[in-house]
Amino acid sequence: MKALKLHQELTAIWRNAPGWRGTLCSVNHSDMGKRFIVGAFTFFAIGGVLAMLIRAQLATPDSAFVGPEVYNQLFTMHGSIMMFLFAIPMFEGLALYLLPKMLGARDMAYPRLSALGWWCYLFGGTILIVAMLAGVAPDAGWFLYPPLSGKQWTPGINSDVWLLGITFVEISAMCAAIEIAVSILRLRAPGMRLDRMPLFAWYLLATSAMMLFGFPPLILGSILLEIERAFGWPFYTPALGGSPLLWQHLFWLFGHPEVYIIFLPAAGAVSTTLPVMARTRILAYGALVAAVMALAFLSFGLWVHHMFTTGIPHMALGFFSAASTLVAIPTAVQVFAWIGTLWSGRPQMKLPMLYLIGFFIVFVLGGLTGVMLAVVPFDQQAHDTAFVTAHLHYVLVGGFVFPMLAAAYYWLPHFTGRERVMQLGETAFWLIFIGFNLTFFLMHLTGLLGMPRRIDTYSDAMGWTWLNLLSSVGSFVMAFGFALFTIDVGLQIWLGRHHRRNPWHAGTLEWAMAIPAPAYNFASLPRVSGRDPLYDEPDLSVALARGEGWLGAARHGWRETLAVDMVTGEPDHIVILPGNSWLPIATAGVLAGFFLTMLAGLYWIAPLFLVAVGVMGWRWAWTNGTREDHGPLPAGPGVALPLSTEALGTTGWWGSVFALAASATLFASLLFGYAFLWTVAPDWPPPQLIARTLLEPALALVGAMLAIAAVRRAGPDGRTELAVAAGGQIALLVALVLLVVVRLPSPASHAYAATGAVVAAYAIFHAALAVTMLAFARARIATGHIGGARVGELRIVRLWSDHAAGAGVVAALVLALPGWIA
Amino acid sequence: MSALIRMSAGLIVWAIAFCLLYALHGLGCARGWATIRLGGTSAHQAALIAGWLLSIGMGIAVAAWRWPARSGALVDRTGWRLALIGIAATVITGLPILTLPACL
Repeated sequence: MKALKLHQELTAIWRNAPGWRGTLCSVNHSDMGKRFIVGAFTFFAIGGVLAMLIRAQLATPDSAFVGPEVYNQLFTMHGSIMMFLFAIPMFEGLALYLLPKMLGARDMAYPRLSALGWWCYLFGGTILIVAMLAGVAPDAGWFLYPPLSGKQWTPGINSDVWLLGITFVEISAMCAAIEIAVSILRLRAPGMRLDRMPLFAWYLLATSAMMLFGFPPLILGSILLEIERAFGWPFYTPALGGSPLLWQHLFWLFGHPEVYIIFLPAAGAVSTTLPVMARTRILAYGALVAAVMALAFLSFGLWVHHMFTTGIPHMALGFFSAASTLVAIPTAVQVFAWIGTLWSGRPQMKLPMLYLIGFFIVFVLGGLTGVMLAVVPFDQQAHDTAFVTAHLHYVLVGGFVFPMLAAAYYWLPHFTGRERVMQLGETAFWLIFIGFNLTFFLMHLTGLLGMPRRIDTYSDAMGWTWLNLLSSVGSFVMAFGFALFTIDVGLQIWLGRHHRRNPWHAGTLEWAMAIPAPAYNFASLPRVSGRDPLYDEPDLSVALARGEGWLGAARHGWRETLAVDMVTGEPDHIVILPGNSWLPIATAGVLAGFFLTMLAGLYWIAPLFLVAVGVMGWRWAWTNGTREDHGPLPAGPGVALPLSTEALGTTGWWGSVFALAASATLFASLLFGYAFLWTVAPDWPPPQLIARTLLEPALALVGAMLAIAAVRRAGPDGRTELAVAAGGQIALLVALVLLVVVRLPSPASHAYAATGAVVAAYAIFHAALAVTMLAFARARIATGHIGGARVGELRIVRLWSDHAAGAGVVAALVLALPGWIA
Repeated sequence: MSALIRMSAGLIVWAIAFCLLYALHGLGCARGWATIRLGGTSAHQAALIAGWLLSIGMGIAVAAWRWPARSGALVDRTGWRLALIGIAATVITGLPILTLPACL
């Protein structure tokens, strides 16, 4: 009875509002996870149809099925959809759904951010699909190389659709990265030390860090290309000091880590499901953690292996070739750990295991051809041929799709609470496995026979006819397999019998709850003492349902979960999560307004939407917090903990740290671009440099120092100090504006001035943001939200203000220095 | 967070080393350091070798720092392993300095 009463009380707090309002305002991580997964699978189906059209075109020589213009859109959209709208959102969905459950928490760290990410993804993806239906889809390849994607060769909006639509979707990825990192580090069950975390969490921690540092270069590259297309600032135009190679560097600085960003979560799913299928525990947990961390770093040293034929000197190619072969070692460590786990256990050939075997075969083959392509002379022969297409599909389908299919069958009972109906999954596996290998194994041969990527037709005399026909047949076999998988899942959702708890007898915490999961996950939070809590305490779920764990009571209508120490897992404070809200969808709607007005070329209206985003952000932050201290509150057996509003090192603070790390990466990428152009691009030094000046750099320095000093002195009643800090930021902002408007040559005249203007724009944006946040903090002191022990918001504002001051000084120096050394 | 940074220190050093070598290489080619003779080699290769050795030295310093923690908790043990991996990666990724022409 106690369990039922607790269930009813917690459900009343955590459930969605009824009807459409509930759908639009939900912030629950299970809802968001499911939406991402269904959305990603829908985009996967669209991308799959495009692949069928591509293969229909290539099935026979001299095909007139579609013309080259349509074909260009088909392969560009296929690649873009699969990378940006399928793979990343799919694992984001899985992470959002599973992580709190595996970690013993009730939700992610920022539920509204999850919802914002979902709406940005949906709206951004919709822009791309609508553009495709309107016949103006991107058509310059999924990596959109200039000059082909530039205004001269793509005068329509096709490239703009990609740049704006994908950047919109990337907001979602950045939200997810911050949220995943903070949730893993802070929102865990008591006692869950770092070395007791499920491996899935280690993999996603590494993935989120990679996203924080990997995505900003692409976002920067996209912003620069869109500015070049919209306003003619010549970042990528060699005649005016730009370089198309800058795009390639920025793109692949993202693009290669991206492969591992996609692979690692899937590998995390393998490391979770495989020991359960083998009825044992994972072998070499520590070696796997080391391998994951090694992969996360080393994968950032490979990006130039996509540029081996661009004329980069041999020694530099050698650096990247060495790193590219090196990265195979931590990957192999994982493969051997998995094989060892199978060897030490008693594997059972259930359906997830079948897909895991498919993963092993396909992924290892893809890895081997990856080592081949890491060798410069071979790559120079195979570059831009169908061999590369075959390799990347072996890696991505082997390293992501097969593990995700295994994960789907493994966790589907958790989502649905139901059993499978028929044995369609086995047939689907064989169709997918045979169809995939028929399609892509032969494509290696087609590539070695010289068939380039992306050609829309070929002559029979080339000798590629039979290979292409068989590849096309294979692709349709594979499509039938995916159709069967979809039917199988649908049958399970609608017709399956209700399943018992923990059907696989797994040890991880996501199975310590009723299935499908209640909105609050755990009626009370477990204290864990090992890596597989359900193996240690088989009746844990019953005790938790009775409220015998931590936070085992409903109070004040609060959505409570625990924050723990990052390393020891000891409880630190109680986090009160926000409830259902219209803010995420409204903010995403305003962002959609910005991107659509940019797409329509309404450049003077677009900034109004950014102002509206600022207003939304203010409102968003305003709804947090309380106006009084509560002191320590009962949290667990004999333990009282403070609320997050009265604690230090809160999730809000850590989220800001990670957001600023991503922002600083974007700034560093910009400075790299500036140095790259100055060193490598033609027509440098530029014909006209900035006018020599000391006034503005001095003003910037004084403003920054004032801001840094004043914000440090601001206490819970420090409204004057906050005003002084805002004054310092305004001085910094004015100095930067003067440098660009008065001293710098026109940004359209040369890549030097264009890059300098963007450096200044970055710092101006952050200074303006800091002024807004300082004003916000003043208002919060006035209303009593900041005061007493409630100083967390001040610490967050200080972070942003310091970053703005630092970036402003660097920007002022970068801008002014050429005038002095010329 | 400091525990995670300590754990990753060896790989952070590798990342810095990689950036340093790539930057020195690009700068040297752009500025024509290969034409400046320094002892039996060019100023460019001397700078690259110095950067490489410095990086390996930094990696060894990190490994020495993590040595006492090699038999501690998992995070500390992993830090020691990653320090060794960082050194190996720095040595291997820098090998082209000894074998390939710099600016060809």
